[in-house]
Amino acid sequence: MGVGRLTTDWISLPLVALPIFSSLVLLAFVARLSPAAKEHIGGNIRLVSLVISLVMLALTTAMFIGANFIGDMHDWTGLNFSQLNYYERYDWIESLGIHWTVGMDALSFPMVWLTTFLLPITIVATWHEKNAATYFPLILLMGGALIGVFVSLDLFMFYVFWELTLIPMFFLILKWGGKDRKYASQKFFIYTFTASVIMLLGLVTVYFLQPEDLPHAGKWTGRTFDIPTLIAHAQSANASGEWFLGESLQKILFIMLMVGFLVKLPSVPFHTWLPDAHVQAPTGGSMLLAGVMLKMGAYGMFRLPLALFPHAAQHFQFWLLTFGMVSLVWGAVVCLGQTNLKKMVAYSSVSHMGVILIGIATMQPLGWAAALFMMFAHGIISPMLFAVCGAFKHHYHSMEIGAMRGMAKHSPWLATSMMFAWMASLGLPLLAGFVAELMMFLALWHFLSSEGWSVLWMVGPAFVLAVTAAYYLWSMQRTIFEGGDETQPPESLHGEAVPDISDAEKGAMLIMAAFTILFGVMPWIALDMMHDWTLDFFDAFLIPILTGGGQ
Amino acid sequence: MSGHVSTVEPFSQGSDLITALAPEFVLIIGLFTLMIVPNMGDATFRIPLTQVRLPWFFGGKRRNLESDPRLPGLLATVFFSIAFLLCGVSFVNGMARTEIVTPGGTPMLKVDEFSRMFELIFFGALALASAASVNRFPATSRADRSPNGLYNNRRQIDFYILLITTGLGMSIVALAQDLFMLFIGLELASFSTYVLVAFIKESREGTEAGMKYFIVGSVASGVGLYGLSLLYLWSGSLQFADLSVAFAENGLEPLPLIALGLLLVGFGFKVSAAPFHFAAPDAYAGAAAPIAGVLATASKAMGVLGLLRILLVVASPEATDGSAVWLIALGVLSVITMTWGNLAALGSTNPKRMLAYSSVAHAGYMLAAITAIGALNWESGYVDSSNDAALAVVTALVFHLAVLVCFKLGAFLVLSLLEAEKGGHTLSSLGGLAKRDPFLAVAMFVFMMSLAGVPPLSGFVSKLLVIMGIVKVALLDVVATDLSFADIHWVWYLALLMVINSAISVFYYLRIGLVMYFHEPEEGRTGPLPAGRSVRFAIVLCVLTTVYFGVGAGQLIALCESAANALVGAW
Repeated sequence: MGVGRLTTDWISLPLVALPIFSSLVLLAFVARLSPAAKEHIGGNIRLVSLVISLVMLALTTAMFIGANFIGDMHDWTGLNFSQLNYYERYDWIESLGIHWTVGMDALSFPMVWLTTFLLPITIVATWHEKNAATYFPLILLMGGALIGVFVSLDLFMFYVFWELTLIPMFFLILKWGGKDRKYASQKFFIYTFTASVIMLLGLVTVYFLQPEDLPHAGKWTGRTFDIPTLIAHAQSANASGEWFLGESLQKILFIMLMVGFLVKLPSVPFHTWLPDAHVQAPTGGSMLLAGVMLKMGAYGMFRLPLALFPHAAQHFQFWLLTFGMVSLVWGAVVCLGQTNLKKMVAYSSVSHMGVILIGIATMQPLGWAAALFMMFAHGIISPMLFAVCGAFKHHYHSMEIGAMRGMAKHSPWLATSMMFAWMASLGLPLLAGFVAELMMFLALWHFLSSEGWSVLWMVGPAFVLAVTAAYYLWSMQRTIFEGGDETQPPESLHGEAVPDISDAEKGAMLIMAAFTILFGVMPWIALDMMHDWTLDFFDAFLIPILTGGGQ
Repeated sequence: MSGHVSTVEPFSQGSDLITALAPEFVLIIGLFTLMIVPNMGDATFRIPLTQVRLPWFFGGKRRNLESDPRLPGLLATVFFSIAFLLCGVSFVNGMARTEIVTPGGTPMLKVDEFSRMFELIFFGALALASAASVNRFPATSRADRSPNGLYNNRRQIDFYILLITTGLGMSIVALAQDLFMLFIGLELASFSTYVLVAFIKESREGTEAGMKYFIVGSVASGVGLYGLSLLYLWSGSLQFADLSVAFAENGLEPLPLIALGLLLVGFGFKVSAAPFHFAAPDAYAGAAAPIAGVLATASKAMGVLGLLRILLVVASPEATDGSAVWLIALGVLSVITMTWGNLAALGSTNPKRMLAYSSVAHAGYMLAAITAIGALNWESGYVDSSNDAALAVVTALVFHLAVLVCFKLGAFLVLSLLEAEKGGHTLSSLGGLAKRDPFLAVAMFVFMMSLAGVPPLSGFVSKLLVIMGIVKVALLDVVATDLSFADIHWVWYLALLMVINSAISVFYYLRIGLVMYFHEPEEGRTGPLPAGRSVRFAIVLCVLTTVYFGVGAGQLIALCESAANALVGAW
């Protein structure tokens, strides 16, 4: 027993139940108050939310440090699904084989840590949001639901949390959003809900295709929703070289599951909800949406279809690569045409999600590690991008790229933050984004040359490198540098004095920047466990298939 | 599988009959109480040829208690609640299955888990509806002793008497072991609801709704009755047991198939399946909101109950080929129903009509599940797994109907509070509800999300169970043979259409949320809605159960499973 060894109950209670229930209690409490009283109590509610999120961050950080540096606690290497860390299971609906099962491995832990990291950052960065009494509990609820998605190891639970994330985000967009918030929130909800119900049917079909004698089965249906059991079963079927569930079924089910995850990711052509949602969402909503919610799609791919249906994944490799490439290129090209700062950032997210998809499509350990690291790095960088956009909106009341010029002289803090975030996102070496992109390039190159695919595939990423640099530099130059007649502030301020960002925002920016540098200089902190996880995964799932006479 | 069944003859063993049918007797007592209590006054009776006046409590000047306009509603609520609790209590320590038989020994009514579960649904819905009507029904205060005031007071009584007869009719449908008994119960319930729908006779919508509902309903009943008589002509008996034997032997003859089709029309109207749903939106829109809620929940449960009895017990699926005939018809019907309901709901701006169409869509989902049972393979070797699958589907259906009472009726109750200020007929009257009355807005949003099937609410679990039931049936053959997509039974596509349809439905459910949270209140509608304590209490109950049966669905599923066992085990 090492110092501060964490027992098993440390996921369900503090990471899932605490944020969800405390936010519900806060919301129920606030709902009874008059508007004036709400206004009055807003600051306290914000403080409570911040404290709760900090407790969660402290806990996940302790888990990380304990796992890595205390040593005798746990070792991230050698992880597989039968050996999840911090594994908990309680009966939920026994007759159907539904359990409350949570656990973390090196796939989910970075995402959980990221969520707990972003919650306090989001709260601090949007310190002055209006209607604080309901806004901050919703952020907390969002965080709890997101962590629920990442830690759940039961299909039913996974789906419940998957859909639960929609509700706080819907309200965040609807109540704190921009002019077209009604359209955007509806589109966001319907788009992702449609995809997920198709996924649900796929999951139910998989459920009934299991044999009846697996462990943790419900006494009534004889099947289980338990993900590790399911995956272990699929793994043993796949290892014998046969398609798990048969070829035609596996292909159909793979497509059904991927529909849900590709829409969430999102990949072109399912991406159209994202720019609308982002542009209309409040800053805090955007930060969580881009930072963590998009990663749910990638996380889901790793957790379910890739583990269950590696044959089909390999069969559809070309399509995965195509989807990724098109997202990468299309997202970047569209960025060039944007005049709204936030919309541009939203499309750049589409482009970066393309990187993840390409990494997955390479079916190389390096590519998958790149995808995992991209999920993580983008989760730190994109909230910073949106925080900068939010600061423009909040202080200058405008996000039009051409509307403000020479801001560097008026508001040095904002300009510096913007410059840093933009550079991080375009992949400046020594910053976190660069590591992921470099790994993706190497993996793609290695894949193309070793599998004998055309090298022309490299044209896309190379082209995007140039385009990305172009739109980031161009937008930055037009916003903060060019045309600086310093006596002439932007018109949207109507002659008021030009402000700089508040101290709270400065703090949030600094922390995000610090971690971007940290993970850029020392990527191994997170990359090691991702790398180990990937290798284990390949040993367990893909090597038998890749060597078993693939393409 | 079937446990011990004791038999009771009416009139011979009085106390046994009363214990077996306790909830029904409670309702009958309630019926008489409602007739008597509000009519009690200080009237006296003079013995002829003398001056002696004996107190005779009927008529005369009412005291405060009896003239209170809320009294009938409260009485009805209490009696429905007692009946509900008695039904619930009968599940504790195992159900005493009892058959009420004729002196000749023919079973007429049967008390088992299945019928009691449906009675829970009926009485629960009716108790909530009568509680919700206490405050909102137009009534004058107790101080008003004018003829008009008293007249309104009397109408109150009629309203709740009709609610109780509805409940009695429904419980007969649940208990019936004979197609004729079933039809009597159905008609008793139907006629009560016809009047209830038209109860607001002062308004044009109320009269129109009542007329439409009555005409279409009586045509459907007539067609059903014709089918019933054809069945009798064919087999010479209307006992479920006899009919089931007859179907198993030669169910493919044209006469019983035609009869079955005609019966389908009769019950199709009750569950508001397309194309027999035309009266439903008008009836829902014109009726008082709690009554519309009863139509959408209890009345629909009654229709599904009839379909289950007729299609699953009578047209016994063990006749493998015979079932396929109605199977395809029903499958097509379910697809048309769910799609039509959803598309029509997309375009309706009256929230009550929208809920009516959503109810049509839900009927489609349930029909899809019933179709799936018909698709089961009853060849030897599959019987065990088919039995399991049938159990799964029936459980899903019962669960769906049970939780529907929580959120669909709840949505109507919210609308009923809006009706109190002459709103609730347009989407815009919901505008700004979040600011005016946050509690109602949250409740309505929970109900809408549950209807759309968003986890973790009970609507999601019910939809999941239905999908699971269908998929389980569709995959029975696949598991047995080698795995290939081509082996999946076509009912799997019903599940696919169902999920696509429920994705469409999100649009209009979400729109209600948008209007409540985004739109400004209409002019003249400011401030919180009328208090209506008992309605709000009912709404709170609905919200709590909606959430509870979603998060902790296990117990209700177990209850529904025992109910399904009682039906499926009867095969």
